[in-house]
Amino acid sequence: MARPCAVVGIGQTKYKRQLPVTLDGLVREAALQALEDANLTFADIDAVVIGKAPDALEGVVMPELSLADALGAVGKPIHRVHTAGSVGASTAISAAVLVESGRYDTVLTVTYEKQSEGNATWALSGGRSGGQGAGGTFAPWIREYIRRSKAPEHIGWKVAVKDRLNALKNPNAHLHLEDISIEKVKESPMLWDPIHFLESCPSSDGAAAMVLTSEDKVSRSPNKPAWVLGHAKRTEFSTFPGRDTIRIQAGLDCAEALYKKVGITDPRKQIDAAELYVPFSWYEPMWLEGHLIAEEGEGWKMTDEGATEIGGDFPVNCSGGVLSSNPIGASGMIRCLEAANQVRGTAGDYQVDGAKVALGHAYGGAAQYFAMWIVSSELQPDFT
Amino acid sequence: MAQLPDIDFTLEYPYTRTTGPIIGPFLTGLRDGRILGTRVGDRVICPPLEYDPADGSTVGPENLVEVGPAGTVEGWTWVAEPTSKHPFDRPFAFAQIRLDGADTTMLHAVDAGSIDNMSTGMRVVVRFNDERVGSVTDVYFVPGEDAPDAPSVDADAEPVGIMEHLIGVRIREPLQPFRKRFLEGLLQKKIIGQRSPADGKVHVPSRGYDAINRVPMTEDDDVEVSGRGTVTSYTEITPIQYHGQTETEPYIRCSVLLDGADTTIGGVDIRDIPIEEFKVGMRLQIVWRDDISFDDEDNRAYGLNESVYERWERTGEPDVDPDLVKEHNF
Amino acid sequence: MAFEPQENDIAIVGVAQTAAHARFDGPEVVLIMECVNRLLGDAGIERDDVGFTIAGSCDYLSGMPFAFVSNVDGMGAWPPVYESHVEMDGAWALFEAWLRLQMGDIDVAMVVGSGKSSPCNAREVFHLQADPYVVAPLGLDPDALAGIQARALIDAGKATEADIADVVARSRAAAAANPNAQVAGSVSIDELLAAPYDMAPLRAHDVSPKADGAAALLIARRDRARELTDNPVWITGLDHRIESHHAGLRDLTDSESTRLAAAGAGVADGAVDVAELHTTHAHEEIILRAALGLGDDTQINPSGGPLAGDPVMATGLTRIIEVAKRIAAGDASRGVAHAASGAALQQNLVCVLQEGA
Repeated sequence: MARPCAVVGIGQTKYKRQLPVTLDGLVREAALQALEDANLTFADIDAVVIGKAPDALEGVVMPELSLADALGAVGKPIHRVHTAGSVGASTAISAAVLVESGRYDTVLTVTYEKQSEGNATWALSGGRSGGQGAGGTFAPWIREYIRRSKAPEHIGWKVAVKDRLNALKNPNAHLHLEDISIEKVKESPMLWDPIHFLESCPSSDGAAAMVLTSEDKVSRSPNKPAWVLGHAKRTEFSTFPGRDTIRIQAGLDCAEALYKKVGITDPRKQIDAAELYVPFSWYEPMWLEGHLIAEEGEGWKMTDEGATEIGGDFPVNCSGGVLSSNPIGASGMIRCLEAANQVRGTAGDYQVDGAKVALGHAYGGAAQYFAMWIVSSELQPDFT
Repeated sequence: MAQLPDIDFTLEYPYTRTTGPIIGPFLTGLRDGRILGTRVGDRVICPPLEYDPADGSTVGPENLVEVGPAGTVEGWTWVAEPTSKHPFDRPFAFAQIRLDGADTTMLHAVDAGSIDNMSTGMRVVVRFNDERVGSVTDVYFVPGEDAPDAPSVDADAEPVGIMEHLIGVRIREPLQPFRKRFLEGLLQKKIIGQRSPADGKVHVPSRGYDAINRVPMTEDDDVEVSGRGTVTSYTEITPIQYHGQTETEPYIRCSVLLDGADTTIGGVDIRDIPIEEFKVGMRLQIVWRDDISFDDEDNRAYGLNESVYERWERTGEPDVDPDLVKEHNF
Repeated sequence: MAFEPQENDIAIVGVAQTAAHARFDGPEVVLIMECVNRLLGDAGIERDDVGFTIAGSCDYLSGMPFAFVSNVDGMGAWPPVYESHVEMDGAWALFEAWLRLQMGDIDVAMVVGSGKSSPCNAREVFHLQADPYVVAPLGLDPDALAGIQARALIDAGKATEADIADVVARSRAAAAANPNAQVAGSVSIDELLAAPYDMAPLRAHDVSPKADGAAALLIARRDRARELTDNPVWITGLDHRIESHHAGLRDLTDSESTRLAAAGAGVADGAVDVAELHTTHAHEEIILRAALGLGDDTQINPSGGPLAGDPVMATGLTRIIEVAKRIAAGDASRGVAHAASGAALQQNLVCVLQEGA
């Protein structure tokens, strides 16, 4: 039967357009930091789980093979996850499964992307001309969300500003746009109508890592654990007649399964901080609705009222989010580990006061892969 | 009728790799005429690593030491038929070479002329190519021990911080039967879809199966649909420039639900309807090219795109209520 | 002695595989669909009776960076499903599914491995597994490293070229009884040794013929397994390990990671009637036999193994299926399946399967 699992170590590189390191160096920086945080060494690790987006982003096939030595995995299991944009969170979940299954006590999980080695839009287009990029896929859905919800156009600009202001408090964030403003967002070039340049995520290099361990091994690590209370994943087809691409069934099902597992009945009240995968600004209100945090058509009002700011009643992406750093394969794990940072009280200047329960989330493909987890400072928090 | 050749393309990209504190100096060394390893504990590892493989601890550039230029072959294979990815276009050996001064072997190529000149334990020595860029392919090995002539070195050259690797994977495949029939239809200005035998829904273009009902579809399921339909989603794309991109100006990319179809065709590019006038629900019809031919270099792209249509024009019919097509928003 | 499953034990309750097609002319999705439909049909269950689905594949084979996304079309994902994907052979997808079921809240999982390798040149794709700084630019592909490994084995006196040819001859003879095989038939060691070298001392026939294909299986927790089949095949051990990527840091004539995985999976805890090994190069069987501690009383690759047909990314999972089929049919009571990834057997998975009520 499943046993509890906790995050006891967190490591992140700085996120940047180009980090002057090898792939070995990139993953090691995050991994060694996570081990140090957990007060462990490679020798204490029973298995390694790595994740990243398509191999073609760096042109290295099955990179777990060439990275095994650098991650201290020789003689151990190393497992490689790939679920498109959701992969970072999927990898965290797979790592948790290794611990929860009872088979592995302590697992190092690492995700990364080195976007500067290749080109994501090129890869998304299969190397062809006329690639529309992720923005081209999501723009029509964003427009449809705006049509259905009657949200005013400034909502997207507002998210873009809020996440960049949050990023100023996060030394690891790629974008530090000191002079960000609604005016600047609105006047930035239109890339995929209605998505402006400043409403889009950057292209980053970076790696993120965590050490997960079982309940009986938590005390080996001196810093506060973040307990993994539950996780859920759901997938649906990318296209089929009748698919609702705005209110996505897999996203609703994923949230429902997660809340049920954890015992959450009112996510807006019971979750203290959320890190949602928002690569284009409008996805903040879209996921608030799409994951049952707000009623249908009401998500944008939370954004508009400031509920999702640090200090609001449901702070979203206090770290700056994907809009401020996007090493694709790691982006989902960053959401999961920033949720852990919040409940461990290690979120520095972007800490939500007294956060006890936090949500980490990622989605991928044609908004068809979902992976979410909830972490807490307590193994059995009181939700009443 | 125009020919439909097999799919044949190369997924190719010039990757740029930052080389870091150990690989950077190693590649700089090859460019400048020397081979470096790292001293780790009581052994010298070549090619060097950024860490101690025994315990994963970090090994810094202060541990770099020169090895070679000669060494001993500890293992080898003979490549009878080199590929375009190999360093030689004539038969050669790949070998594990333990360079003098090193305790581990390096994989590299030996230009030995014949398999008969190769043996385990033989001595080989490095040769530097005239043109060197800071890559492992700057050098190769030959049988013997004669030290190479010191290569000419540009004393002002910057250390290697980035290495390029042009990677190309060639993909060749006959057109799958359902796709061939679709393309043959286009050549005759017909749009062929497939009607699912499970639920009667018409898929255009078909992928050869119905995923919802998990049934493959066959030629018996082929149906022709109209060249007229309703816009179900669109965006205006400002092209991002990348390797292989030829688009430069903004254009509308939309999806159209053809009359008689239950799936949309995506990737319809519109260049002559102003964005202000464009909307979901607009009725469009295809204006075929007179001379349809599939002759672009990357023939994966063959399909219902600008190789078959001049443009899509408004039919003049009233717009359809967007709510009626919201389930086709792809 | 028959295995006595506990509540938390997991069994294989159904298997499906396509032929190893030299070239399949339809989409990879259809190969997957064929397996999934057969699995569900044989088990008499619906798609939503499966609590967790996980697949293994490799985007690069089809030259499309998100190829695995469309593979979901073959597995079924409407209504939405709990699903994941590893960029590894399907055998590693089984590893994760096996662990997931041990959490207790889900009782049935489906595992898929698939690949369409005919559109690409496998050497061109898989040389990109090598260290991207000092090896991949040389174009040194897994077949070349296999050649080096085979030479090392011969130099160490652990095998002869005739021993390597013998592996091929046995594989082809065994494959005659396997309708899914790509290459089969009687061939003498002398005939094999008369063929020209490719990556000397290996010859073309020492390298597995790459194929298009898919494989899938259903696993279930004990109580559910008993409901779903009269012949559950119990997974009594499953482990995988990796070793150094750097050939210069390894003894190529041994497979330490296989030895560790075998110990983790408990291979030595009983007699091994049958073993299916992921030998994409003939000499690997000799290394693996030693590392797994298999004696002459173990039947090796009765399906013909990968040398008779290598549906890349499904090949490892197919080894597990081939062993499970023999146990379910009563032809063996305990067996070992092995899957490998990377050049020169860098990463190895070992699965012990056993009969039991």
